[in-house]
Amino acid sequence: MRSIGGAAHWSSHPLGRRSVLAGIGAGTVATLAGCARGDSTAVKPGTTSLANDNATWDQGYVAAGQELKKLTGYALRPLSNPNPTSYKQVTQISLQTTKATDMIKWASGYFLKSLARTGELSDLSSVWAAYERKGWVTPQTREAMSYRGSVYGIPLYESYYVFFYNTGLFRKHGLKAPDTWDELLHNAEVLKKAGVVPFVATQTGNWPAYEWFQELVSKVDPTFYAELISGKAQYTDPQAQKALQIWQDFMNKGWMTPADFDQNNGPAALKTGRVGMFLHGSWQSQGIAATGMKPGVDFDAFVMPPVEQSTRRSVITESGVLAVPRKAVSHEAAMANAAHWLDPKVQKVWTDFLQDASANPLSHPGNPLMAGLKDRALKERWTLLPRYGESGPPNLVQGNTDDLGSFMTGASSPRSTLRSMASRASKEWAEWERDEA
Amino acid sequence: MSSSVDQRRSVFAASPSSPDPRPVRPTPGQRPGRRIREKLATAGFLAPAVLLVSALLLLPFASTVYRSFFDDRRISGFAGLDNYALFLSDPALTRSIQNTLMWVVGTVALPLLLGLAIAVLTHTGGWSRVARLVVVLPYALSGSAVAVVWNFVLTTDGAANQMLKAFGLDSLAQGWLLEWPGNTLVMIAANTWQSAGVAVILFLVGLQTIPPETLEAASLDGAAGWRKFWYVVLPQLRTVSVIVVGTSLVNGLKSFDLIWVLTQGGPGRASETLAVSMYQETFLALHPGAGAAVAVVLTTIVLVASWLYLRRQLTPKGN
Repeated sequence: MRSIGGAAHWSSHPLGRRSVLAGIGAGTVATLAGCARGDSTAVKPGTTSLANDNATWDQGYVAAGQELKKLTGYALRPLSNPNPTSYKQVTQISLQTTKATDMIKWASGYFLKSLARTGELSDLSSVWAAYERKGWVTPQTREAMSYRGSVYGIPLYESYYVFFYNTGLFRKHGLKAPDTWDELLHNAEVLKKAGVVPFVATQTGNWPAYEWFQELVSKVDPTFYAELISGKAQYTDPQAQKALQIWQDFMNKGWMTPADFDQNNGPAALKTGRVGMFLHGSWQSQGIAATGMKPGVDFDAFVMPPVEQSTRRSVITESGVLAVPRKAVSHEAAMANAAHWLDPKVQKVWTDFLQDASANPLSHPGNPLMAGLKDRALKERWTLLPRYGESGPPNLVQGNTDDLGSFMTGASSPRSTLRSMASRASKEWAEWERDEA
Repeated sequence: MSSSVDQRRSVFAASPSSPDPRPVRPTPGQRPGRRIREKLATAGFLAPAVLLVSALLLLPFASTVYRSFFDDRRISGFAGLDNYALFLSDPALTRSIQNTLMWVVGTVALPLLLGLAIAVLTHTGGWSRVARLVVVLPYALSGSAVAVVWNFVLTTDGAANQMLKAFGLDSLAQGWLLEWPGNTLVMIAANTWQSAGVAVILFLVGLQTIPPETLEAASLDGAAGWRKFWYVVLPQLRTVSVIVVGTSLVNGLKSFDLIWVLTQGGPGRASETLAVSMYQETFLALHPGAGAAVAVVLTTIVLVASWLYLRRQLTPKGN
């Protein structure tokens, strides 16, 4: 009763209600205006903003930015969104606004091509040409950075896919880094007998499912791998079948970790000698070093030897890219920084932070392990091949990675896995070509 | 429901001694300007809620329905029901429907039976409080945290297999999350571990509302044990059961977090439910049209299932 009476009393003073309403309205407008005025990407003199999806690299960007500032007058201001999926969505949307960040971190290959074809990225062909003149890039890298002949990205780093191993464990069992396929098999046999799981292989996290695929196919035939990822060869061809047979054979022999092994536990498993060889991007070196092992001393790395000795040596590489949005708030500054990113002085600071390699062949990595591999790759003219993840229309890669995950659990045979991948490839490549047309 | 509201309205309107001082219709003496102001004020107070629901729920839903009729090519064109036809042709989506059905059955039946059993067993007795707390505690944890804990248990190198091996049961050790349908079944079990707690709470509340006189009368009439439970207690828990089944049904249909953390719908999309497929298609496979179709189908199933169920079960009297 009291409350009803109260309501009647309220209604006799409509002004009071109106005040409340007006207050709520004003508050809402103020809040919306406040939200709309986000100024993280606004011009800040002497800096360029850099959107990225890895907050742990912020320190490295800041340090490299200090070097860039000496050359261009602009430091780097990292803006991190630690969730990769949300980062992708936010970046794609923000590129269409007038508040685009000055530079963005993106994946190379078809991810970059998909973004470039929206017309929202700046053409960096002239920057690339200048880099080529100075010898700061290798011609092999250009394809993964371009779309329809023009360059839209500058390589952020260049990692190799390598097998990390515990030098102490290898010494204990009288093993050395294998230089031939037979030596690799020998190592696996010895380790297995000693109760150590020879190889890390997993589909947890989805994308690691293609690590062994790209590795084995490229080591069976690097030319075939290059044709396969450009849609010119078939997944059902004998080379791919041979690769999956080897893979299945390794699994049947118990040479691989369970398919739900968590790669985050890889460094610890390597240190304690529970696993023998850990196939992963060379950027993992930082994580292994974090367990207290010293690169080049306590752990080292090798690139998988080719299956046949006569086959040309190759290495799978991974490059993130820096791109400049067409509507970058400080466009000129961003272009200047893109033009100096691969300067050896900047790369020195950056790769020392990453403990990984630079895409600039004249930049010498501080990490002895990477320095050794890079020197050998240059000297022996290894074929550099792009990682599978960026080497096809995103839908194709995603679907085929799921198929490989299924293969790793034994749910599908090599033949049926490859058939499924082949049928997806023909559909997705046709769709990509149709969209291009 | 509506009939009871109508009844109440008619009672108030007919009664001359209605306690409501507000007139049902405006008195002739009231000024029209004031009436308009009052109506405007009412609309103003309703507006934030209406706007929020429209902007955050109805508009996105309408746009999702619209998007589902367009294909996923670069320049999207009208595709009719093609995205919906994927449910018949795409094995991943067919598997997703199978999994969703398993989740619905599992998440409805298990919490209902376990919740009821635990509530009845811990309703009385000295140790009941502790037991109740232990059962209810997981409900306070977030789905993701529960998934992380179960991940430690269920991976091939995890606690479950280590325990089996410690007891010499090596042959039973397996990749719990790697093979279908085993992975879906263990995830349903993990989900039950968490969600049974809320069913227990609801059934305990239900048990406490049963008048002691009824139970006493039943005892005097010679009913005891199972017969008393089946014929006297259980019928009085009907409303609670309706709520438990209703919420479990919706939770089962929209299961996401546990699956995402444990398997990400894998391996090879084998453990996806419709909610995971929706995310997978939209954000990972970059098929927003197909993702929208999955979202529409899922929303329709949830709404229709809830409506049919609650309409049948909840009578105007609420019993």
